[in-house]
Amino acid sequence: MKYPGRFTIYLVPFAVLLALPASLLADAKYDALKKKVELLEKQLRQVKQVLKQQEAKVKRVERKTTSKKVIVYKGKAKDFMTRAEGRKLEKKVDAASEWKDPNTLIHMAGYADIGFVDGDRKNGSFVLGSFSPIFHFQYKDKVMLESELEVELEANGDTKVGLEYLTIDWFFSDYAALVAGKFLSPIGQFRQNLHPSWINKLPSAPPGFGHDGAAPVSETGFQIRGGFPLGKIRSNYAVFVGNGPELNTEWDGSGFELDGIDAEGKGTDSDNEKVWGARFAVLPWKGVEIGVSAATGKATVTKVEDDLGTAPALSNEQARDYDVYGADFVWKIKSVALRGEYVRSKVGRAVTGVSASDGGVWETWYTQASYRFPGTRFEGVVRYTDFDAPGTGKDQKQWAIGLNYLFASNIVAKIAYEMNDGQAGTVADDNRWFIQMAYGF
Amino acid sequence: MTTSKDRVNKFIFGRVLTLALLAGLAVYATSGMAASANKKGDSKRGAKVWAENCGRCHNSRDARELRDDQWMSTAFHMRIRAGLTGQETRDVIAFLTETNDPPRTSVLAASPTPQAGARRLSGEAVYKQVCIACHGANGKGTLPGAPDFTSRKGPLKKNDATLIKNITQGYQSPGSPMAMPAKGGKSDLTAAEIKAVLAYLRSRFGQR
Repeated sequence: MKYPGRFTIYLVPFAVLLALPASLLADAKYDALKKKVELLEKQLRQVKQVLKQQEAKVKRVERKTTSKKVIVYKGKAKDFMTRAEGRKLEKKVDAASEWKDPNTLIHMAGYADIGFVDGDRKNGSFVLGSFSPIFHFQYKDKVMLESELEVELEANGDTKVGLEYLTIDWFFSDYAALVAGKFLSPIGQFRQNLHPSWINKLPSAPPGFGHDGAAPVSETGFQIRGGFPLGKIRSNYAVFVGNGPELNTEWDGSGFELDGIDAEGKGTDSDNEKVWGARFAVLPWKGVEIGVSAATGKATVTKVEDDLGTAPALSNEQARDYDVYGADFVWKIKSVALRGEYVRSKVGRAVTGVSASDGGVWETWYTQASYRFPGTRFEGVVRYTDFDAPGTGKDQKQWAIGLNYLFASNIVAKIAYEMNDGQAGTVADDNRWFIQMAYGF
Repeated sequence: MTTSKDRVNKFIFGRVLTLALLAGLAVYATSGMAASANKKGDSKRGAKVWAENCGRCHNSRDARELRDDQWMSTAFHMRIRAGLTGQETRDVIAFLTETNDPPRTSVLAASPTPQAGARRLSGEAVYKQVCIACHGANGKGTLPGAPDFTSRKGPLKKNDATLIKNITQGYQSPGSPMAMPAKGGKSDLTAAEIKAVLAYLRSRFGQR
């Protein structure tokens, strides 16, 4: 066995003496580093805590702003709401039933329009056409109550509310429905289908198709209407009976003259003479509808226009003959729509009663063409109307030309110019500019 | 002065003819009631009714604009206005409820039921059953805003992936007042059928 030499024995303690301070130095460094790490960890915890608080704050702000977001998430405006948020909302809307009975549906539609009119003899004015909400209450596929109100701003600032129609419809067959109440006149097309401002391609109604015109506006009674196939072509019809119109007359100091037909559905039959009528239309091919309509009955003078204040009181007025004939057509070929309508209302003579006078004929027709410019939202329209009425100053011929911009199918901005040819010096002769914004909902 | 002849004519015209028309309609309607009971709506026919009738009076509304229940009330309102038959009304409702994706359960009895296990349609069959109502047999479009497939600048200049996405999700052409509903309103169209109809569009209307 070989023992370590003397040199080695002396070397070991010397090495230990040398290593001891180095070890003490490493421990000190470790402690310092540890303290530093602990400090950093503490700071990190503090930062995390602050971050958490900030995140909570941001979420609170987000929740607040989300509730104010516009509810549009389909289409181009998806930035307003995420799809997930939109779907969640949609489910809620779906679940929200106005009635607990799922067999009853409630729906609101309607239209409104605002605009500006500037005529030759009238100051340019901002106008409100009407706000016309339509309410639908439907029980299964059997019965529907539908009603349209007409809220209008009058020239003096008053608000006028009218009942455009109110019917209860019983769908008792695939080919017929019984419609009872106050309904839009089935004579022609304009009043029953085209007058809403978002549908009418011009801002005004054709002369003779408004109130006191040649075409009846509405009727109170009942009708049976529907559609059925005739071989390969389709057809539709309406047959109605109602209270009929009343007549207005004018006192000129020496006698009476018929002034107008008040053909808005009356709540009573002043002469106990009903008016019967019908419309029948065929649709021989796609985009074409040709209709004829007629009504007959009696009408009686109930109102006198008396500027002089000397007219005798009405008494024992005779129920006069009242006959209406109409024809209408529409032909739609892609972007072009042609339509036209003719209505003639004839009131007979009265030989008894205070307001006894000759009868009269109100006659009007219009034809209209519109064209949707391909690939754009613009639409051009032109219409010609010729309205003839008894008395002086009411006949009117009119050209109307307009340009529409469709923000959507149901939101239309219109600008139009009417060239009127009537009795000089009257409104019937005024040319007019129209700007209108119509919204159907 | 009204003569006795006028009165007779008026009586015949006003009362007798109207009553005869009413009686005839009542008989016709009653017979129709039995014949048409419980016939469900068909979305393909509904798309055609939609395309051919709505635009006659007003600009066609977007088929996805309302919820199913709102479309139902609207359709019945339009049944009165447009003189639609009950069957046409159910067909339109079927089209509209299928257009709303995913289809929702109808609260009315007339809701359609998709045919389970229906066999795959060819591209031509899909076009003739679904697309033709708005795009027309010649591909030039039957409604305002419907694009012209035969045009060099028409939609067929786009690539397949874009067109498949547009067909699947629905698409509104620039300037068009209404959007094409997802899958043309036939929500049970398969991916294969969509590819097939796209191939048909390219072969039938594409520029050669």
